[in-house]
Amino acid sequence: MKKIFLCCAAGMSTSMVVSKMQQAATQKGIEVEIIAVGMEEFEATLPNYDCCLLGPQIKYKLAEFKAKGDAAGKPVAVINAMDYGMMKGEKILNEALAMIG
Amino acid sequence: MSNVFFDFIENKIAPVAGAFASQRHIGAIRDGFIGGMPFMIVGSFLLVFAFPPFSADTSFAFGQWWIGMSKEYFDVIMTPFNMTMGIMSCYISVGIAYNLAQHYELDALPTALLSLMTFLMVAAPMEEGQLSASFMGGTGIFTTIIVAIYVTELTRFLKVRNIGIKLPEQVPQKIRQSFDLLIPAMVVILTIYPLNLMLQGQLDMILPGAIMAMFKPLVSASDSLPAILLAVFVAHALWFAGIHGAAIVGGIMAPFWLVNLGLNQDALAAGTELPATFIEPFWSFFITLGGSGATFALVLLYLRSKSVHLRSIGKLCVVPSAFNINEPIIFGSPIVMNPILFIPFVGIPMINATIAYIAVQTEMVGKIISLVPWTAPAPIGAAWGAGWQLSNGALVLGLIILDLVLYYPFFKVYEKELLKQETAEASDISDLQSA
Repeated sequence: MKKIFLCCAAGMSTSMVVSKMQQAATQKGIEVEIIAVGMEEFEATLPNYDCCLLGPQIKYKLAEFKAKGDAAGKPVAVINAMDYGMMKGEKILNEALAMIG
Repeated sequence: MSNVFFDFIENKIAPVAGAFASQRHIGAIRDGFIGGMPFMIVGSFLLVFAFPPFSADTSFAFGQWWIGMSKEYFDVIMTPFNMTMGIMSCYISVGIAYNLAQHYELDALPTALLSLMTFLMVAAPMEEGQLSASFMGGTGIFTTIIVAIYVTELTRFLKVRNIGIKLPEQVPQKIRQSFDLLIPAMVVILTIYPLNLMLQGQLDMILPGAIMAMFKPLVSASDSLPAILLAVFVAHALWFAGIHGAAIVGGIMAPFWLVNLGLNQDALAAGTELPATFIEPFWSFFITLGGSGATFALVLLYLRSKSVHLRSIGKLCVVPSAFNINEPIIFGSPIVMNPILFIPFVGIPMINATIAYIAVQTEMVGKIISLVPWTAPAPIGAAWGAGWQLSNGALVLGLIILDLVLYYPFFKVYEKELLKQETAEASDISDLQSA
């Protein structure tokens, strides 16, 4: 099963995106585990997941987190701000799945 | 003119702030505080039972009963408070060192324990079998930050330089690890402890006292209206570039908030006037009610908007907004990179801050004595933070009404712009269908 985690300042608003992504996954019959964490949990979470999406509000963390992701061979990217704002779960899910490949 | 300003934030300020927030020590301090927060919130919640929100001459029978109970069981009620808020610097010491050690890939737990040991050594020297807690609370915050960083940096330095007790390869790893911390512990004791003794001899104060004296001007400056407005402005200006300004500014303010909270709680216990105004619940519930930008009013306007786009954001975000989460508004509207909404987004929280500051100074509402989770609905959180003073909750409701009025003209301008787009798109579609 594919495992994705989302990361933002406190893991609050990303958890809303997570539930939208899960809805989309269930509709499409894709088995995927998605969680939301605060940025202090990034390192502890990374080893157990396939890829990480950052909320646009912490895009300043991308360089640091991407370096750690690259070292572990896991893709890290920032969610498009508009998709994030409009909580486009399906689109974000598709992009995450494409990242894992 | 405005473009110059926005370019400046986007290209100059935002990267600096981002780099600052990603800085390893700042990150460790922030995460260290987060680690201690749950106990401190619960501990300070209990404070209201010891200090009921009624005046001593209340005619309200329940209030009299509560006051009576609180006097009779004062020590019993205060113990959980004293063991959480009262010694918060101990927990923070562990939290900061643990997070920083993890960042450096050192053994996190031993480093955290070493940090706690060092903090206790300088802040609470044992006298006649008793540890003094006077610097374990808010007054020890800056010391605990400095000690945790010093201890962790020192441990790292010694590890990088390979200074330590070397045991032969045959010795099992676990046993070798247990020797790893001996040298850092020794060096810490040999460096910090004499400094403490010297201060004690020369100035009759221990290290935390000296550090607190150094930070005192900064702490009192942090509680002034200009400092509050500056913090609000920076936090919101950063949002314009789409980065979480409140998380960054809140990280810087956190030690000051905790020191100020400690001052208020000490004054409450001593029965004197509370000194401090600017503490986290003041920020969370008066300034950023509904989330950064005080957008609770804006989401209410969105709910009745003629624009489909804004209405759908309103529906999406009204419930999270009640818990001060508003990213869909910020990124969906969008407020980010949107000059029309950006003016009220920065200005309204500053107005809220000024009004709330005046209300606190004129004693129309109470000062903060308790930490509250920032996700509490604003009117409840505001009352809770001040030991359940209802006037604080009422002020929040008043601010929401004011914010509705202030947001309205900007909302209308933006709505009109969106409506133009939406009708243009709709007519495009009907053109296609008729063709």
